[in-house]
Amino acid sequence: MIVAGRSGEGVRLVLEAEEAMLLSELADQVDSVLLLGSGEDPAIDRLLPNAYPDDVEAAGEFERYTRGSLVDGKRQAAQSVRDATDVSDGRDLVEIELDESEAWGWLTFLTDLRLILAERVGVTDDGGYAEDEERDDYLRAAYEWAGFVQGSMLEILDPMDA
Amino acid sequence: MTGILEATDVEFDVDLDRATREGAARSWRAIVWDDPVNLMSYVSYVFRSYFGYSREEAERLMLLVHTTGKAVVATGNREAMERHVQAMHGYGLQATVARAEP
Repeated sequence: MIVAGRSGEGVRLVLEAEEAMLLSELADQVDSVLLLGSGEDPAIDRLLPNAYPDDVEAAGEFERYTRGSLVDGKRQAAQSVRDATDVSDGRDLVEIELDESEAWGWLTFLTDLRLILAERVGVTDDGGYAEDEERDDYLRAAYEWAGFVQGSMLEILDPMDA
Repeated sequence: MTGILEATDVEFDVDLDRATREGAARSWRAIVWDDPVNLMSYVSYVFRSYFGYSREEAERLMLLVHTTGKAVVATGNREAMERHVQAMHGYGLQATVARAEP
């Protein structure tokens, strides 16, 4: 199980090798979704929302000026998580030290991952799941797990009793 | 007489310009919308870290988003509000730019 602890101003994560592999795989997939950036993928609308829902012209202009750097930033975050969790040397546990800025990369990546998974598993407006037997339990578990990892990190980075 | 009138007119125009400028500077809003995905603790941490809001203010705004569906997180000129909304999108929050209602 993942363990999150304090490391200076940042956070230290301990993951089992299987968790690290799962995270690495998911990070690679998030990167691919952003790379393809298809307008037909509804997850893209969650990652890169419309800034002007009532103004087509302004929306287009905002998208033109911001999309490139937003996609770059999100892809960099996904790639850094993918690389940090790349376990090819047969270790049982993977320890990852993140400073505050690296931790932000993880928090935003976990958010983007959950936004994509939420679209794939049909998270409804009230936070429940759409009634659909076809939806994948594996993705649903990944969605819950990513939320747990993010919540654990936030408890370290932003303790409520501070 | 003409001189005085002209001077008055000029002064009036200058004041009007300044009033218009000051109005324009605060006439746009950055709005964050509720979504079923983001953790409340994350949204509050983003507000605190990015805008520099106090813990109380960040919590208040987060709860406003959560309970009413949206919150105005900043007001100002259009360019600044677009910058904020772009940053919110970077954090994965649903945010829009809107002209402030008169």
